[in-house]
Amino acid sequence: MMRRTWVIKAILVVSFLALTILGGLGLYEQRRFDIPIVAGPGVTKVVKLSDYSQGLKGTIADTLVFILEGKEAGGKALIMANTHANEPEGMLAALIMIENAVVDRGTLIIIPQFNHSASRNTKPGDGYPLYFEIETEWGKKTFRMGNRDASPLDQWPDPDVYIHYPEKQLLSFIDARNTNRTWPGRPNGLLMERVTFAAMEIMRREKVDIAVDIHGAETMFPVTNCIVAPEKSLRIATMAALTVKAKEGFDSHVEPSPVGFRGLSHREIGDHAETLPFLLEAPIPFLDQPTGPKTEKFLLDGKDPFLLSLARKKKLFVPYDESGWPVEKRVGQHCSLTMEILRQHAKRVPDRAVEVRGVPRYADIVKNGVGSYFHDPAKAERSKIYLN
Amino acid sequence: MKRFNTAVILMAFFFLFVFFAGSAQAAVPKAKLPVLTTSAGQSNDVTTVNIVLEEAGIGYDYCDVPDVDILKAGVGLADKESGPGFHAEVYTDLAKFPKGTAYKTIIFAIGASLKGMGASGLTVDTEEARLKRTIDYCKQNKVYIIAIHVGGTALRGAPGSDNERMIDAVAPLADYLIVTKESNKDGRFTKIAKAKNTPLTEVDYALDLVEIMKKVFE
Ligand SMILES: [Zn+2]
Repeated sequence: MMRRTWVIKAILVVSFLALTILGGLGLYEQRRFDIPIVAGPGVTKVVKLSDYSQGLKGTIADTLVFILEGKEAGGKALIMANTHANEPEGMLAALIMIENAVVDRGTLIIIPQFNHSASRNTKPGDGYPLYFEIETEWGKKTFRMGNRDASPLDQWPDPDVYIHYPEKQLLSFIDARNTNRTWPGRPNGLLMERVTFAAMEIMRREKVDIAVDIHGAETMFPVTNCIVAPEKSLRIATMAALTVKAKEGFDSHVEPSPVGFRGLSHREIGDHAETLPFLLEAPIPFLDQPTGPKTEKFLLDGKDPFLLSLARKKKLFVPYDESGWPVEKRVGQHCSLTMEILRQHAKRVPDRAVEVRGVPRYADIVKNGVGSYFHDPAKAERSKIYLN
Repeated sequence: MKRFNTAVILMAFFFLFVFFAGSAQAAVPKAKLPVLTTSAGQSNDVTTVNIVLEEAGIGYDYCDVPDVDILKAGVGLADKESGPGFHAEVYTDLAKFPKGTAYKTIIFAIGASLKGMGASGLTVDTEEARLKRTIDYCKQNKVYIIAIHVGGTALRGAPGSDNERMIDAVAPLADYLIVTKESNKDGRFTKIAKAKNTPLTEVDYALDLVEIMKKVFE
């Protein structure tokens, strides 16, 4: 009798350890997997986010900042992606810009993996793939699929209630690790507050004119397929949305940034710097809840039978059919809208223009695929390759 | 053979005529300044109209929920200040049209938003009543009414729905209708325009409003 209990206990301990090690190993590897980024012809400098906020030095939240300076003086624009690291269309658009853009006037500052800790995290219980691959002419390029929030390994414990700084608004505990709730941040606060503080410092010190924060949002959420803009950015946002509809044939509407909801980039950046903020949302069906398995294929093609039947019942906020909502469309929209925002800004303030060429537009990316704009790290000059 | 050629030429002329008649934008009616912009249904589209006017270089006054008193006050909106559920902005060229000048034109951006109406303490019924009062005032005082619908199918609905009620409240009483192709997909505005003999301009995209507005207020 005694012996049997011991055997059962031993089996339980061994299976527990086996599950932990087998399950943990994959997570361990993903957390250490780096994405090689090939700096394109326009990149003139690569710095770290911690250069603007000492509190990030030596932490996993530190991340690369790519700077593309034009020959002629002009304005400055900051592009941020992977604020939510489970919305990868933003990162893909930012990487396309880093690998291809050439700046003629002004400066482009790009942070492709803004919440770096979240990009090395996953969503427990949702069965997210840990990686996804994009086809290119030279093979497949592998990316980490992250989570919405920073890893609890990097910022822990969570508070019972997250109190926003400096407005003291009470927010959900989970949002303490969400870099779209921790704006404008502070130098010695929570790790995620130090991340947003560093970006605020870039905007204040470099006198950034335009900030674009690139996201993806559920098709069942009303704030999707849009530009979120506060009062001061409304005119450029509206003209950009009207222009892409007329000239490039895709929809994006403008959502005013609510005044009373704190911690969001489109609210706090404008309130704490001279910069005009814009937040871009493209529909990402993968994030919706009533869907089939969260596979890599679904992440990329956005096709799901459950969403299709919901679309027929008019429960979605975007048109949806058998063609899903593929990553090429999402990345294309982001590239086009970002470039159009810069163009509209240049029209208004010519001496602060940021003129960029070499970035593909919506129709190009839909036609050629996202992968055709990535360069083979195996063939690139060593000094051009950055691991992040 | 010769008869055949003549027929071909005649047909070619006929098609060319149809093509140009169809594609060329019919001359737009003219309206006079000062102009007040407002919403019928409190959707965001009035912001689009305001920005279009700025882009076209046209000064305007804006009030989201004007009633007869504000219309009577004219340019400057009686110095009312924006607050929760009420927005007033004055961009009219005050050198040309001093405060108190009567509005010559009013632009309604049609589109229902429950969120927008809720923020202004309105329901579909009270918004309808407000629109009736303001339009009655405009008719009595010969204020030229332009109704714009550029929200596409998103701001359309089944007969009797909020969006359609806003269209019914304004479009049949307007002096001029401007809509996008997508908004007029079912020909609803064409029908209204025909029934009331109202000039109608159908644009491909909302962006085209910039050029239309320049011409209307030339
Ligand atoms: Zn997001």
